[in-house]
Amino acid sequence: MADGPGSPGGGGGGGGGSHESGDHSPRGSNIREQDRYLPIANISRIMKKALPANGKIAKDAKETVQECVSEFISFITSEASDKCQREKRKTINGDDLLWAMATLGFEDYIDPLKIYLARYREGDTKGSAKGGDTSASKKDGQSNPNAQLAHQGSFSQGVSYTNSQGQHMMVPMQGPE
Amino acid sequence: MRQAGAYSGLLCGGTSGRTGPHSLPLARIKKIMKGSSDEVKMISGEAPIVFSKACELFIQELARRSWNMTIQGKRRTLHKEDVASAVIATDLFDFLVTLVSSSDSGSSQVATTATVMEME
Repeated sequence: MADGPGSPGGGGGGGGGSHESGDHSPRGSNIREQDRYLPIANISRIMKKALPANGKIAKDAKETVQECVSEFISFITSEASDKCQREKRKTINGDDLLWAMATLGFEDYIDPLKIYLARYREGDTKGSAKGGDTSASKKDGQSNPNAQLAHQGSFSQGVSYTNSQGQHMMVPMQGPE
Repeated sequence: MRQAGAYSGLLCGGTSGRTGPHSLPLARIKKIMKGSSDEVKMISGEAPIVFSKACELFIQELARRSWNMTIQGKRRTLHKEDVASAVIATDLFDFLVTLVSSSDSGSSQVATTATVMEME
């Protein structure tokens, strides 16, 4: 395999810290192999859902999709990031990503994503709080408070989304643990 | 902690730590987001969640389109070449063309060269 750095499952990042992933990667050489890709088991599971039961997936196909997904994330993120820069904002939020996806031709994803997000806001206060403290800063203000108030503030909005989905999720407990 | 229940379709992550109801690990998504550009400094808590679902949709679409190529070749196993064909056949996936061609060592060396020349 001449293109070792390109195949995610192959090297496994062994090699004693050589710069194997730095050659032609636009993402830079300081990022570890396992940080550049989503876990292949998850990828595989999702792929299988899209195939008939008798369909098989070769390892090389999974690895290719694994690369494609990271590329997809970068592609969308870059577009969203440009938008934030133009608007002089520092934090990329969910709406920026939705906008970027619509701009780049993935408008079919928007509705399912809004439903998913609404359902999440409605049900998972724990997750919001956990996710919110990651890197959003207080300068941009809105992201943290919003995340915590989401199940109140966005609730009415969420209802309309979930109704249209017709698969309302019941959450027995709202508190942590 | 939410129970599986109606949501269990999504409760299938977990191979690399707790991913909650999302089928892909949020921390990893965030790392990939940050790795995409130096300008990406701050990411709202919701952004990886959007991506966890978006990637799921993306993977499924790519898998479906690739599988169509597999079937057209009267095969039962989806290979890398099918993914490459699907990418090339789909306008939406134009941004992946270089990736699928360049990672395609050996058999499609010609395609690689052609793509590289187009790029330059």
